[in-house]
Order: sequence, then C-alpha cells, then structure tokens
Amino acid sequence: MDERFSGFGAFILYSITTGMMLFILAPLLLVMAVSVSDSYFVTFPPQGFTLKWYAKVLQDRDFLEAMRLSILLALGTTAGSLLLGVPAAFALVRGRFFGLAAIKGFLLSPLIFPALVTGLALLQVLTKLGSQDARLNLLIGHVVVTSPYVIRTVVTSLQLVDENLEDAARTLGANRLRTFWRVTLPQIASGVAAGGLFAFMVSFDNYPVTMWLANSEYSPVPLVLMRQLVNVFDPSVPAMSTIIILMAMLGVLVLEKLVGLRRALAA
Amino acid sequence: MTTSDNAVAVLSVEAPPAARRGPGWRLALPVGLLAIPMLAFLMYFFFYPALVLLLSSIQTQDSRGIIGRPFTLAHYARLVNVELYARVLWTTLRISIITSALATVLAYPVALVMVKSRPMVTRIITLIVIAPLIVSVVVRGYGWQLVLQNGPKGMLNWILMTLHIVDAPISVLYTEAAVVIGSLHVFFPMMVLPLASALGKIDPNLEDAARMLGAPWWKVFLRVTLPLSMPGFVAGFTLVFSLTAGSFVIPAILGGASAIMLGNLIEQQIFVVYDWPFGAAIAVVLVGLVLAVNGVSMWLLEGRRLRRPE
Repeated sequence: MDERFSGFGAFILYSITTGMMLFILAPLLLVMAVSVSDSYFVTFPPQGFTLKWYAKVLQDRDFLEAMRLSILLALGTTAGSLLLGVPAAFALVRGRFFGLAAIKGFLLSPLIFPALVTGLALLQVLTKLGSQDARLNLLIGHVVVTSPYVIRTVVTSLQLVDENLEDAARTLGANRLRTFWRVTLPQIASGVAAGGLFAFMVSFDNYPVTMWLANSEYSPVPLVLMRQLVNVFDPSVPAMSTIIILMAMLGVLVLEKLVGLRRALAA
Repeated sequence: MTTSDNAVAVLSVEAPPAARRGPGWRLALPVGLLAIPMLAFLMYFFFYPALVLLLSSIQTQDSRGIIGRPFTLAHYARLVNVELYARVLWTTLRISIITSALATVLAYPVALVMVKSRPMVTRIITLIVIAPLIVSVVVRGYGWQLVLQNGPKGMLNWILMTLHIVDAPISVLYTEAAVVIGSLHVFFPMMVLPLASALGKIDPNLEDAARMLGAPWWKVFLRVTLPLSMPGFVAGFTLVFSLTAGSFVIPAILGGASAIMLGNLIEQQIFVVYDWPFGAAIAVVLVGLVLAVNGVSMWLLEGRRLRRPE
C-alpha cells in the first residue's frame, strides 16, 4: 500500500475501511441473495435457487402500475426541473444583479429544508387550492426538491465555459440562439445530463415528499414497496427491491460515465 | 451532497463586461431575468407553503377542521410539556447526534484511505460508498430489517450464534440502536464525501514535515490532519445531523414503536389524528432545529474560524 500509512496506524485505517465497506454492502447483498431463495418466508441463510419471485413480481399489477407511474413522474420531473433550472443557472452564473448571492441561496434552499416538511407544507396549500390531481401534485412537489440538483450541476459546468468562444461566435455573426445551441450547450452538455439524471433518480426514490401527495390511486414505487414490507412476507419483496437496486446501479454507471461520480455528487 | 453550498454563500460572479459585447447584447434583456420562472415557481410552491405552515402552527383548528383564529402557542407548549411528545423530541436529538458522531469516527479512516491510496483502490471505495446513495431508502431500510431480524432467522443472529458469540438470539430490530445503524448506513456518504474533499486539499508536505520531525502517526493525525480537515467535518456533521433528524422511512421500518422520531410524529398527527396545527408546530420545530445547526455550521465555516493557515 501507500508509504504514507505504516505500522499500527495503517492497520487501524484499513480494518475500519474494510469493515465499513462490508457494512455498506451487507444489507444490499442480503436482499439480493434472499430474492432468489426457494422458500416461502424470508430467512437466513437463503435456501436453493429460484427465479419464481421475479416472475411473481413481474405479474404484480400494483407493482407494474407503480413502476409506470414512477417512471412517468420521474421523466416529467426531469423535464420540469431542467426547463426551470437550466435558465436559472444561467442567470446565476452570467447575471449581475442585486441580491444574487441571496437568490442563489434561496434557489438551493430546498436542499437543506427537511423534505418531509416541504411535502407537508405543499399538501396544505394544494388542498386549499383544491388541486385534486395526485399526479400533478406529485410533479410539482418533485420539481421543488429536484431543481436544486439541476441548478447546482449546471452552475458548476457553466462556470467552466470559456466565454471567449461565445464572443468569437457572436463576432463571426451567429445570433444568440445559435451561439447558445452550437457553442455553449455542447460545453455544458454533460452537466445538464448529470443534473437531469439526478433529478430522475431523486424523483424515482423520493419518499418524504411523495408520502404526502400520493393517494391510493396513484402510488409511486417507494410507497408500494413500503406497503408490501408490512403486508407481504415472501421473497417477492426482496425481488422487487433487487430490481430497484439494479436500476440504481445502472444510473450510477451512467453518471460515472457522464461526469465521474465524485464530481457529480460533491460539486 | 450540499458540501460546498453550506460553505460558499457568497459566490464570485464573473459578469462579462458589457463593453466587450456587440450592440445586440446591449439591446437584449438582462440574463438575470432567466431566473424568474424558477424563482416564481419556488416562491409559490415552496416559500409560500412554508409560511402558511408556520402560520397554521400558531392558529386553532375548530371542530370542522377549519384552521383560523385565535392565535396561540399552545401547540408548541404541548410538544414540550406532554411527556409522550417531549420524549419524541429527545429521541430525535439523541439518534441524530449519535448517528453523526459515529459517522464522523468511522468516516475519517475511510476518507483517509480514499484520498491517499492508489487510484484503483480510491475508485473502488468511492463506488462502494456512493452507489448505495442512489438506492431507495426503503430498500436499504428493508435490507437492515433482514440483517437485524430478531429471532434465530436473522442474519446477524445467525452469524452470532453460529460463531457461538451468543447463545440466544439478541433483539436489535425495533430499538433506537437499529435506527442509528440504518441512519448511519443511509447518510454515511454525506460524511465521507465532504471529509474526503477536505482531506484531499491538505498539502501532503505538511504531514511529511511533521513525520520527518519525528511525530508518530497519531500525533500527525491529531496535530496536522485533523485540524486541517475541520471544514469537511463541519459540513459533513451538519448534513448527517439534518438528514437524520428529518428522516421518516428508517425509524418507521427499523424503529417500530420504541424509536418514534419527529417525522413519524408529524405523519401520525396529520394522517391519523388530523391535528394540522399541532403537526405544523412539530414541523416548525424540526425546521428550526435543522436551520439552527446549519446556521452554526455556516458561522463556523465562513467566519474564518476554521480557515486553513495559508
């Protein structure tokens, strides 16, 4: 290993790190292992091998309906938060106006605000407005909590754009729209894509806002899974969970390819 | 995930000098206007609802469920005075503090190894730390339910009994300890990432110098690494604390009746008891708690109290 770590210090460091890696992976691996267990109850150690729980899940109307709703909701949320967030990021990076720092703070504040309270407050106002459509309400709530992610990633990538290139394009006669489309956008494309993917994933997994705004007719995946946890004890719940884990892993890989994980998260 | 947001409130604005632009730019609308749709949206669906919530927490609900006058602070008093509710507040504080403290102690080694190892090791650790972040909290809570399951069929009990560490199954599930374990799992990356980014900024020469002057490894850590990584620690602690305090899913799945947190109490008041003003008051207390911790952290980070020596 590295020369910087040696002796007893190194031993402690590597033991704790290895332990934490196991701690992080254990529950996820267990869920995956149990999902192919050939027993009617979830037990440890898992027994045999079967894919029948997956077959059961893939025929479960509630789950498929929830999946459809969650994917549509996440797509709508992504579109909404990109439409509102990308222009806002432009204003924050390129604009020059009074109170800019305060406005940036405000636009990012849904990140610090407990999401549970964001959802509750929104429910109260939407109820007063008489907004009955759970799908619309969920879309609004999800855009509130996902737009800061878009703003943050796009702001970061916009700060890296070389404005001289835009000036050059303008000098050479391109109009603003063309300059944006041909010069600026290609430079921030990975930031926009990462922001969009974030919005999708955060929306897909969101529980604390969703729990207030969903109803019995329109329940996204996390709510359906939570309900199943309480009522179903066969390995179809781990099978559902495994499908969600694999989808998340796919998202992680795409994100890693697009911008690199550390940069995407810690930006 | 909000590493730098907490720290950087004032951003440097690189506004393009107007003179360099052609006439077309001067006629065009200011770019700042592009923020208006987003601002309007958040004003109406985030800021305004928060104010309504704050207002209803000091109002009274009549028998028809309509919230209005008279104004009162009774709901807040109830949260503090009724033992049942006060206990929830303390449980929330206790779980949040223990989780953040544990996360700190365990994240330092991981972040150190992450920053200072060979690229391959760094990459693997980063992936393992970050990947679960994107897996639904419900799934992760469920995973821990399976691991901690009371009775001999749970994974932890099976391992402990197979290794003859215990003779009878232990009960961890549906205790505060289970909630701490689950929260630690869910929010651990929020501690590791800011710490790793702070540790990565430390000039390795400083540690080398201390070592060459004869300091043992623990002294190098305590006197050089630890003080210089304070900004990462503060940012991480704030995040883990805020997120744990505001959680609902993990205590609902792992805590059962014995570790109810503020989030669960709010849900119960709104969905079961239909007591909106009281639910709102609890929510306001939760927000106050989170904002207070964030405020202290910003004060620490911005006031140059933790600034690294140049």
